[in-house]
Amino acid sequence: MIKIFIDEKAIEVEKSTTILKAAEQAGIDIPHLCYHPAFPPEGTCRMCLVEIEGLPSLELACSTQVKDGMKVSTKSERVIEARKGVLEFLLAEHPPDCPICDKAGECSLQDYYEEYGQFENQFNEFKEKREKKVKIGKNLIRDMERCILCRRCVRFLKEVTKTQELGVFERGIHSEINILDGVLVDNNYSGNLAEICPVGAMTDSDFRFKTRTWFLKKGESICPLCSRGCSIFIEYHEGFSRFTLPKRVYRIRSRENHKVNGFWICDIGRYGYSYIDENRIDKIIVNNKEGGETITWEKMVILLAEKIKRLYYIKKTSRIALILNTWLSNEELFLINKIFRNDLSVENIYFTDPPEGEEDDLLLTSERSPNKRGAREIGLDLKPINLETLADKTDLLLIFGSFMFDQFNLAEIKSALDNIKMKIIFATHSNEMNSLVDIVLPMSLIAEKEGSLTNVDGIVQRFSPVLMAQGECQPEWKVLVNLAKELEINFRYYSQFSSPEAILDEMGKKISFFEKKSE
Amino acid sequence: MSPEFSDRTKKRIDKIVARYPRKEAAILPVLHLTQQEFGHISDEEEKLVAELLGIKPIEVREVVTFYTMLNQRPVGKYHIQICSNLSCSLLGAESLIDYLKEKLGIELGETTEDKKFTLSTVECLGACEQAPCMMINFDYYGHLDKKKIDEILDNLK
Repeated sequence: MIKIFIDEKAIEVEKSTTILKAAEQAGIDIPHLCYHPAFPPEGTCRMCLVEIEGLPSLELACSTQVKDGMKVSTKSERVIEARKGVLEFLLAEHPPDCPICDKAGECSLQDYYEEYGQFENQFNEFKEKREKKVKIGKNLIRDMERCILCRRCVRFLKEVTKTQELGVFERGIHSEINILDGVLVDNNYSGNLAEICPVGAMTDSDFRFKTRTWFLKKGESICPLCSRGCSIFIEYHEGFSRFTLPKRVYRIRSRENHKVNGFWICDIGRYGYSYIDENRIDKIIVNNKEGGETITWEKMVILLAEKIKRLYYIKKTSRIALILNTWLSNEELFLINKIFRNDLSVENIYFTDPPEGEEDDLLLTSERSPNKRGAREIGLDLKPINLETLADKTDLLLIFGSFMFDQFNLAEIKSALDNIKMKIIFATHSNEMNSLVDIVLPMSLIAEKEGSLTNVDGIVQRFSPVLMAQGECQPEWKVLVNLAKELEINFRYYSQFSSPEAILDEMGKKISFFEKKSE
Repeated sequence: MSPEFSDRTKKRIDKIVARYPRKEAAILPVLHLTQQEFGHISDEEEKLVAELLGIKPIEVREVVTFYTMLNQRPVGKYHIQICSNLSCSLLGAESLIDYLKEKLGIELGETTEDKKFTLSTVECLGACEQAPCMMINFDYYGHLDKKKIDEILDNLK
């Protein structure tokens, strides 16, 4: 550790670090465009110039290593003047089209101009006309006028995906980021390019012109689409007072987490968000001969508890079966295990999950559900469904999720379910399966509830609700706690679970794997 | 048919590549040899070089498009590169460029139909003392005027 001074503030830093990183640690922001913490410094944008005492010229903060006793100034007159000069040259060719630019509001160049630029235009020349709208990737649109040639995209494809679809061709004013012979950027991580572009040169056609960035709110969440459990931001629009919007979620972005996903997320997680808003159910549906009746959650839980209690008192809980999935959180799986396996001695517990997919060597895993590891650590056996035994041995069936539908066709499911007296589904989306059961209970998604998931490497990650639950939707853990209390088998024990956090604490005491794992 | 290096060029390339700690560092001299052998470097040759140096064709394209002296298309027997930079322009290079275009009947970057001449401009040949000047293949011609250009081209039969 050595001591340096940035803006007269003494900072202790590692010997080999750079000025920019040292400043970051001290909470001092040095403007930069080409530097990205995932890559070695490039030094092309010149935005991070700082003054070092004793040196005649300004130096690049991103690539200059600190020295013991170094005195750096990031706010001196010379530095501010240099930033203005750098911006002037960057903007010599960059069009002032922020009003129609998708990046506006989250554009580094725009922000820096607001802070340090604001100069009179000194150029007599017209700006060069370049291609404004060229598709260069699956979801990527390139605008060469806006590009400042920071090469972040080129470096990402070289160093992270190693696919190298992009290069810088020609030179000087004619330099352009381009693909080779029309081969589009088409890898599972291409969405990251629009995210790391510091300006609006690379925009995402999935998000382009759908809304403006300043209308979006963002919340921290975990991607549930594979067992990696990447950290994400869910960016959503709350709508306007005069009219509502057809959807809430407009995009998913990556959230830095070096234990799990680093800086990136894959395109499956990034673009697969439509399920959050499309085709959801938000009401309890009771399918009976008269064609539907309304019932409150309180009555529903009492009704369900009575059904279970009746079987319990005649010692026939073996006639209860459960179909689970690993989209359920650790807490929910723990509760189910506790209530049904331990308290009620239910044996017929099956699992259905989305079918496995291809994995890649970066983040994506073959397991397309977020909590398989959690279910195993809790001690649940991930037994696949056997429709015949299910149909023969069951009087009361509780189905969590609709993933059965991926595995069997509707006729198969119907013929099995027809033999079962009472069928209840805990569903998030409406589909044909819901008409085969007696009661459909609307459930919250991971984006709307609280809990924790155990990823493929055994990292337990907690998540909080980003979006409000819709209509009558409830999280499974809440329904399960209410049900357990209503069963009155162990009322006091379940009364302590007022939140998933309390359940996780209890899990830590009971299961050594979950001890101190929660974060 | 995809191009291949002659044995002689291959040997020269091996010698050059051996000089560098990393193969791809030899890209510029290798590209010069490639141009010598094939006259130009199109995507076929780019792929050949990329394979030889263990890099992706896109990286070769980046270098080839950066340097104007590497030709992406076939050039004529005589490649005329006339300077359009400051010193030459002050001494009338622009009218000489127009004269050459008219005389050869081609635009900049084009080749005459008989594949004899290719005309392009170049940013400074480093011979301002002879301005206006041009380079045909690897020979310099300075203190140009229209009459002198006529003479030079007539001698290049």
